[in-house]
Amino acid sequence: MTSPILRLEDVHKSYGALQVLKGVSLTVQPREVVVLVGPSGSGKSTLLRCINLLNPPTKGRIWLEDQEITAPGVNQDRVRQRIGMVFQEFNLFTHLTALGNVMIGLVKVRKMRKNEARDLAMFELERVGLADRANYYPAQLSGGQKQRVAIARALGMDPHIMLFDEPTSALDPELTGEVLAVMQKLASEGMTMIVVSHEMGFARQVADRIVFMEGGVVVEEGTPQQMFEQPRHERTRAFLRNIAQ
Amino acid sequence: MQGFIDLLNKVMPDLLQGTVVTLQIAVVSLALGMIIGLPVGVGRVYGPAWLQRLLGAYITLFQGTPLLIQLFMVYYGLPDIGITLGRLQAAFLTLGLNSAAYQAEYLRSALQSVSEGQMVAARAIGMSKWQAIWSIILPQAVRLALPAWSNEAVAMLKYTSVVFLIAVPDLMGQAKILASRYFAPIQIYLIVAVFYIVLVGVTYLILTTIERRVRIPGLTGDAA
Repeated sequence: MTSPILRLEDVHKSYGALQVLKGVSLTVQPREVVVLVGPSGSGKSTLLRCINLLNPPTKGRIWLEDQEITAPGVNQDRVRQRIGMVFQEFNLFTHLTALGNVMIGLVKVRKMRKNEARDLAMFELERVGLADRANYYPAQLSGGQKQRVAIARALGMDPHIMLFDEPTSALDPELTGEVLAVMQKLASEGMTMIVVSHEMGFARQVADRIVFMEGGVVVEEGTPQQMFEQPRHERTRAFLRNIAQ
Repeated sequence: MQGFIDLLNKVMPDLLQGTVVTLQIAVVSLALGMIIGLPVGVGRVYGPAWLQRLLGAYITLFQGTPLLIQLFMVYYGLPDIGITLGRLQAAFLTLGLNSAAYQAEYLRSALQSVSEGQMVAARAIGMSKWQAIWSIILPQAVRLALPAWSNEAVAMLKYTSVVFLIAVPDLMGQAKILASRYFAPIQIYLIVAVFYIVLVGVTYLILTTIERRVRIPGLTGDAA
């Protein structure tokens, strides 16, 4: 048994009196693809933002590889470099081209030289099939292309794990395929991924494990086969049935 | 008509000299306003609460009082506390501080119109808050603030005219001297008005060219 790449222990997150996460424990193994599902407001996105410390947990502990990243004094910026994140709304840097979006983190954060950074950024754009759009600004790209650039931007940082926060929810149906294809390719290359998504086709095909969350806790988790065919909880069954329709 | 042309010939050298002074004051004040206004604007949005309040007070002070009073306070008032400035220095400082207050406000509203997601995405790739502000937020905000900033530059050209009241020989100062020397106030002030319009027109052309040059498709403050 290899050591887990990510381990959450009793993670809580509250905003004032509002408790969003009420004790989530989760372990992710290297190369594993975990799809996180649940009704809106169940805390899935919050959980992702806890993991990369954009909104650190109010209680509980998180380990990334051998490091407890919730320990006091941890350099959070350094932790985030190792955790790639892809957002529902893409959040590409508006003033930079596709190439610039991938390059800027390489230059400013990884401190690479410009031409080195350019080569690597081009490589990452090729990986998502967008080398020919390198000099386009975000506004000149389709939603699917934007999201692929956002994936390339995250990959450029050489992350050890990737978090996807509803990566296809803002896309027209005909554009989701190209993004899911890139994600599937990443998974097959061995990237560790946690994906919040309602794309059940993707979950079935690509996920090693599905985690069902509701009300700020993990209700049930299992392989896609277990979860779709014989879930233990009635809530899981009802949710997955609803979403599959 | 001949009389007017004679007058024009006589006043032209002095008015050109005044124009140089006016331009000098406008350029130095705008530059000073930018050097001060940029950190003030950033501090207004991203600084700690006490700093935001302090900078807010500075902006209110300079936006809420007449420019002329500010000029008199700097030129006639500061010597009382041991700071004596030359006329031109007083003009630079007053207009610079005044412009900084306005420029900071333009920048503040531009910074606030950059979508929240830009900061989140920058932090997500491991940038520190200040790295994100410098490399991601500011380059967008500066472009968004450019139209307002152009108006400020044009306004500044005209605001400079208050400095003749502390006897700086700018365009307006020369006009006043010439008007009484040749007993022709209406003609002189009309000529000077044309000078200002030409200055404003040229400035406007330069700035709209810059705006066009640095324009980026889709940079309107909406999410990318």
